[in-house]
Amino acid sequence: MNYDFSEQEFTLFVDIQKKLAALADTRPLDRRESAKTRENIDEVLALLAESPYLKLGIQPVDGYQGQLTLMGAMEVVASVSPSAYLSVEASMRLFGRAVAEWGTDAQKAEWLSPVLDGKRIGALALSETCLNIENDPLTTHGGKEGDSVVINGTKQYVINAPMADCIAVAGVLEDAHALFLIEKEASGLTIDPALETIGYEGTPISGIRLENCRIPMDQVIFPPAKTDMPQALRMWENQILLGASLGLCKTAFESARDHAKTHKSGGKPVIAYQEVGFKLAEMLTLFQTSQLLAYRTAWTAETTPKEAAELILCAKVFCAESAEQVSSEALKILGGAGYIAGNIVERAYRCAKYGQIAGTSTEIARVKIGDAALGYRN
Amino acid sequence: MDFAFTKEQQMFKKEIIRFAKKEIVPRVQEFDLKEAFDFESFRKLGDFGILGLHFPEAYGGSGADVVTTVLAGEALGEAGVDGGLTLAYGAHSFLCADTIYRHATEEQRKKYLPKLISGEWIGCMGLTEPDAGSDVASMKTTAEKKGDKYVLNGSKIFITNGPIADVAVVYAKTDPDQKHAGISAFIVEKGTKGFSAGAPLIKMGVRTSQTSELFFSNCEIPAENLLGQEGEGFNMSLQTVEWDRSALLAPFVGAAKYMLNECADYAKKREQFGRPIGKFQAVKHKLANIRIFAEASRSLAYKIAWCKDQGRPLNHLEAAVAKLFVGDWSMGPANDAMIVFGGYGFCHEYNMERIFRDSRLAPIGGGTSDIQKMIISKLI
Repeated sequence: MNYDFSEQEFTLFVDIQKKLAALADTRPLDRRESAKTRENIDEVLALLAESPYLKLGIQPVDGYQGQLTLMGAMEVVASVSPSAYLSVEASMRLFGRAVAEWGTDAQKAEWLSPVLDGKRIGALALSETCLNIENDPLTTHGGKEGDSVVINGTKQYVINAPMADCIAVAGVLEDAHALFLIEKEASGLTIDPALETIGYEGTPISGIRLENCRIPMDQVIFPPAKTDMPQALRMWENQILLGASLGLCKTAFESARDHAKTHKSGGKPVIAYQEVGFKLAEMLTLFQTSQLLAYRTAWTAETTPKEAAELILCAKVFCAESAEQVSSEALKILGGAGYIAGNIVERAYRCAKYGQIAGTSTEIARVKIGDAALGYRN
Repeated sequence: MDFAFTKEQQMFKKEIIRFAKKEIVPRVQEFDLKEAFDFESFRKLGDFGILGLHFPEAYGGSGADVVTTVLAGEALGEAGVDGGLTLAYGAHSFLCADTIYRHATEEQRKKYLPKLISGEWIGCMGLTEPDAGSDVASMKTTAEKKGDKYVLNGSKIFITNGPIADVAVVYAKTDPDQKHAGISAFIVEKGTKGFSAGAPLIKMGVRTSQTSELFFSNCEIPAENLLGQEGEGFNMSLQTVEWDRSALLAPFVGAAKYMLNECADYAKKREQFGRPIGKFQAVKHKLANIRIFAEASRSLAYKIAWCKDQGRPLNHLEAAVAKLFVGDWSMGPANDAMIVFGGYGFCHEYNMERIFRDSRLAPIGGGTSDIQKMIISKLI
């Protein structure tokens, strides 16, 4: 047992925080205009590529503990810029991880390497209009035509779609789950205009449509037969959202704490009032409890992945809901200052809602956790 | 980071659960209803080695580390042992015996520890007073040095094991003009002239533990019963906080797993509208809430324990966070568990109403949640 990150890991977190914060000071990473251009995210990727961050959880990196180190680092990146974080993670830990885990050597050479180097951006398209892949099968499908596959389907809420070089589209080919690697110039691929969202405004998100989109067979990824591909992808999304929730908690708590120590009312800092001090105590309790739960979840995913599924759901629910509570309370502590557009706490509050909706929603997650306790399996 | 327990620890936990389910749990409801202390179960805890887990073998203990000791507490909760017995165990082993182990002379250790570790004797700790709860420094009980004796006067309240204890660690002011620095700790044996316990208080929960006032009226004890030096008492009481935030929280963490298992079993059998209630999403959500609390709270207690094993000084911020979370956030799952059982959950026949009542102590005992918030808000 050991509850400490190593010095090497800690140094990595500090290094990333410093460099990314410096970049965020000069770039509007979390504003809507950032989602309209690749320039900013390219800079973020280039910066992160200087560290092991992009490879964590995908390839072994000496001195680091895969998913566990990644969770600590995710927290830092998400705390500095939630929007950049979501874009980076969709590219690395969804698209990149899918290619790394299920792709052929040729596919890895073609698609994974440039993504890990931060030179190309990937996206993963999973969600469909039924909004519920937990119970309904994927309707996006491919049909073989000679050495090609022709794909038809519609996907929604695809992170990075407007700027991705390649989109891994989840669908069905000959009754088996598959991922279709579709380049941005592919004929038959239509990328809808970027959506305007209540949070993560700097992240480009849109729907895509595939109408007789033809790709060569070697651009199809087949997960191993026993793998439940949609479930696995949802779990990866949940892990990303865990990191996001920690980052939002960190931002909101630290901002509120600093404000409470410096903002005076009645001649004393507002933290001296129990209404404020006690609120901060509850916020820190949720934050620290979230951290420990998320770290243990990441450690379990790294060491005994088969035991991680339910724990990830528990952590996802707890951390996502904590992020909303902590940012909501932080807003109250900041008063009017927090209500001004652009304040990092109001940004955290808006982003936090996404954590409860995206991946496995907190409602569906609770059903699954309950099913597991009851011995019911979907 | 590494959150793994050793194979030995995992096997030990299973052994405790098996032992507790067989030897203790069948008696829990009966004694809770009688509001009586289960001496037999307490002795069995001693026979199994639980009461003295972390003490050196020289005194009859097992020399276990803190993490293993916390694991034992979690196992008792998970097996379904009531909060009264686990509280009595906590007050006995950590608040009383551990303080003697840390601060008594070798002669005193040999005199008291073997009997406490075996369960032959029961220990308690007297700190809280009617007008000095969280504000310990305002305690009124005094200990005046007269020759080779100390004379104690005053009273204590809410003392777990008070009416049944053979030996007490008692905090009193040796210098009433001082605040914390005036507090000293003493060993007081049952039967000492001028020392008496009140009748057991009737409590909402943890009913099998016996709680009472302690009275000191010109109670003379030998001067050698002073633990450490005069004025060191407050720091001694703080040392028990490490146990309070780990080993004493552990049974609440374990109880969540117990509730989850019991609720799941019930929800699979209980049918309404032609199907088991476990098939309804609202019931699944309640089970999920209990599981989430269990998972979230575990690491908090073990982190405190692990840090103690590393010899680190207590991180008061983390300790307060652990206590606040387990205290305040355990109420929701306990409520959910009772509701899953519906009307039966409100009746003593099933365990949920007892656990609900027992859980209510978590945000109160050992420093209320408000005190934890006060500590946290000062430290941040």
